[in-house]
Amino acid sequence: MTPEVLVARVFGRNPSEIGELTSPETLPEWDSLGHVTLIIELESAYDVSFSPEETMTMTSVGAIKQALQSRGAQW
Amino acid sequence: MVPSEIANAHANMGTTDLIEALSRQPLAHASAQAVLSALSLVAPGACLQFLLDHEIDVIGAVSTRELSKIICTAMRSFTEDDAERRGYASEIMRHFLDVLSAEAAVDTLGALGIDLGPSGEAALERLLERFPDEPALLRIAIRVAQGRNDSTRLETLLTRLGLADNTPGTVAFAYRLRQLTVSAAPATVRVALVSSYTIDSLAAYVDLACRTIGVVPELYVAPFNSWAPEIIDEASGLRRFAPDIVFLSVSIDDLVPQLMQHPSAEALKTSGDAALERILTVVESFTRWAEGTPLVIHSFYSAFTGPLGILESRELISRSGWLAGLNARLTEALRTLPACYLLDVAEAVTTGGGMLADNPKLRHIASMRLPPQSLRSVAETYVRYVAPLKGLTKKCVVLDLDNTIWGGLVGEDGKEGIRLGNSSPGSEFVEFQEFLSSLSARGLLLAINSKNNPDDALDVIRTHEAMVLRESAFSAIRINWKPKPENMIAIAEELNIGVDSLVFVDDNPDEREQMRQLLPEVLTVELPKDPALYRSTIEKLPQLQTLSRTSEDRTRTQQYQTARLRERTKLSANSIDEYLRSLEIEVKIATATKTVFPRVAQLFARTNQFNLTTHRYDVGEIQRFVDDPSLRLWTLTSKDRFGDHGLVAVTLVRVASASWDIDSFLMSCRVIGYGIESTLLAYVTEQARAAGATALVGEFIETKKNAPANNFYARHGFRAVRALGSVQRWKLSLTTVVPFPAWVKVDAHDA
Repeated sequence: MTPEVLVARVFGRNPSEIGELTSPETLPEWDSLGHVTLIIELESAYDVSFSPEETMTMTSVGAIKQALQSRGAQW
Repeated sequence: MVPSEIANAHANMGTTDLIEALSRQPLAHASAQAVLSALSLVAPGACLQFLLDHEIDVIGAVSTRELSKIICTAMRSFTEDDAERRGYASEIMRHFLDVLSAEAAVDTLGALGIDLGPSGEAALERLLERFPDEPALLRIAIRVAQGRNDSTRLETLLTRLGLADNTPGTVAFAYRLRQLTVSAAPATVRVALVSSYTIDSLAAYVDLACRTIGVVPELYVAPFNSWAPEIIDEASGLRRFAPDIVFLSVSIDDLVPQLMQHPSAEALKTSGDAALERILTVVESFTRWAEGTPLVIHSFYSAFTGPLGILESRELISRSGWLAGLNARLTEALRTLPACYLLDVAEAVTTGGGMLADNPKLRHIASMRLPPQSLRSVAETYVRYVAPLKGLTKKCVVLDLDNTIWGGLVGEDGKEGIRLGNSSPGSEFVEFQEFLSSLSARGLLLAINSKNNPDDALDVIRTHEAMVLRESAFSAIRINWKPKPENMIAIAEELNIGVDSLVFVDDNPDEREQMRQLLPEVLTVELPKDPALYRSTIEKLPQLQTLSRTSEDRTRTQQYQTARLRERTKLSANSIDEYLRSLEIEVKIATATKTVFPRVAQLFARTNQFNLTTHRYDVGEIQRFVDDPSLRLWTLTSKDRFGDHGLVAVTLVRVASASWDIDSFLMSCRVIGYGIESTLLAYVTEQARAAGATALVGEFIETKKNAPANNFYARHGFRAVRALGSVQRWKLSLTTVVPFPAWVKVDAHDA
């Protein structure tokens, strides 16, 4: 599953609505609770564990993909 | 070979070459299918066109699994989400719908775009019948329902999705969507979550768990770490929310922050005492304003172990010993308060298959404590409190015999051959029977509904040495070859309870399906295949939980057994009158006093059949009624020569004017047919006359279930004065006398 598809699933959107620039500013569902849920789902889907600093910077789909890549995750 | 390898192998071939290659060999051949796979990657349109052109051959020659894979790949290989792809998707749907795998179907439907169109929606319906639990299909169906503003369907689908995919993202999505859409069903229970830590993500799971038992919740999550002011402050959000039930989770780590350090034994003791006092002060404040509203409190759980590691247990005050002591004292204190329950958080988390009660990472980044994997378990535990609160508690567990309470078939294996005893296979069934036997302590009944030769089965029940449940454990027995739903109705009639008060436990999926089809109001339990899991499955059922226990509950099985004896007497008596006299019925009528409030509240909550108005009142309201001089609340207890029925009838009467007004009049259906209701009514009229009243009025509010009370007022000389919809108003001029039934001995001692 691509990060876009996962983000779409967590927030109940169509994958076509999600792009690199999708962020809490563009997606109202992506609030603080939504962010924690997203982190939990990303960690379980890609079998990675993010540091607290990373979780704070992962505030766009592009940033999420970067963080995933830096931990060697593939999709 | 994976598709990419096939594609590589054919990389030098163009689309035309590939199609050419296909025509040279029979489709059933593996190499032809490899070519098709390659084609699906490089030229998805041509590939799908080929499938459509050769529909008959393809279905005959290519396995559905392989075909689904090819279609999946093709659908994903279009470079653009364009009209060509949509066109193929709808054709594929038309021709290959019934052979597609769930994954291929989802990809093809996805290619149809946001608007599926009528044929796409019809295809979706058919696919949902084949794959009812496929999350991706459910998500598409949800989108369709959303587009159509079909909120009833949307709500059902969201519950199905939450159950099919229990991950935090999906459950939170379902919950969020529900809040955004106009609800089709009004909320039936108001649930508040109050906590010292972030518990918002639990709300979505509680919502889902409530809906799976048919309850529509309105949820309130108190602001972060404001548990004490939320409960104490009269202007708080919680107080304004007016909850029906409150769940309070306060972490001991929040109350005693020193726990992450290494406090001395003395400091531990002092801070433990202070923490306990703090929480009890808040709880006591709650019980003062919430008047009988159930409060469920998480037991104390610490994320930290003691500083000495494995040496802790040698300490005078070990960390775990200290915590256990604190929980014991909390339990004891809560027992003295009305409607307060301790929820063992470790048990809640583990019984539902969760793992831990604390997640260090989430505690740090989000002030959460419960790990996502445990939320479902905790929510399901919550619902065990919500179910009895909403009167969903069933009254009788109806059991199959073969492979349900013992292993094997007694008709084939014989009494000696069935599996039942102290070693496995067989010990699973003993363990299950022991649990079923304990249900009588909650006031629940057991019955048998089984297809066997009665002699074989009864011989096992009476004489098998390992049987726990003997004949006397069952309040009704139907062992015959009739359809089980028919037996179910007979059991309900014999026990004088509704069919919707029955739980059906049977290992056979066909019997379960038939029961669900014909008697959907029966709770048919989805029993796991493995008998070792029978006990825990039934243990977890929310519909077998009760919030209070009365002496009537403890002896109910016995009461129904004496009812059976009574039934036999009934048959031999010459006339009804003689029969009733032979019962030697004695009743006591009295104003309700504090000791009987729980039983009175239970009658108000549970009585459906002989209930004239079906108003539900809780202990707090009952207390107010008794304190109010313009109201009288009488209770009736009865017994006969076979046994004590306990407190079986209640009436609430407004006595402020010359015309007394019966607000509520209800009686346990166990004692219908003995003239007990007439006795209570005769008593009320006598009281009214003595007080100088001139008339007695009352309402009959028709419900689905209270037909037994239907002609009650007419029967006793009341005149109908008004009927508005399901509400009829009746009046009795007190010049008319309501006679006391001659066979009932009345003992009224009233102030």
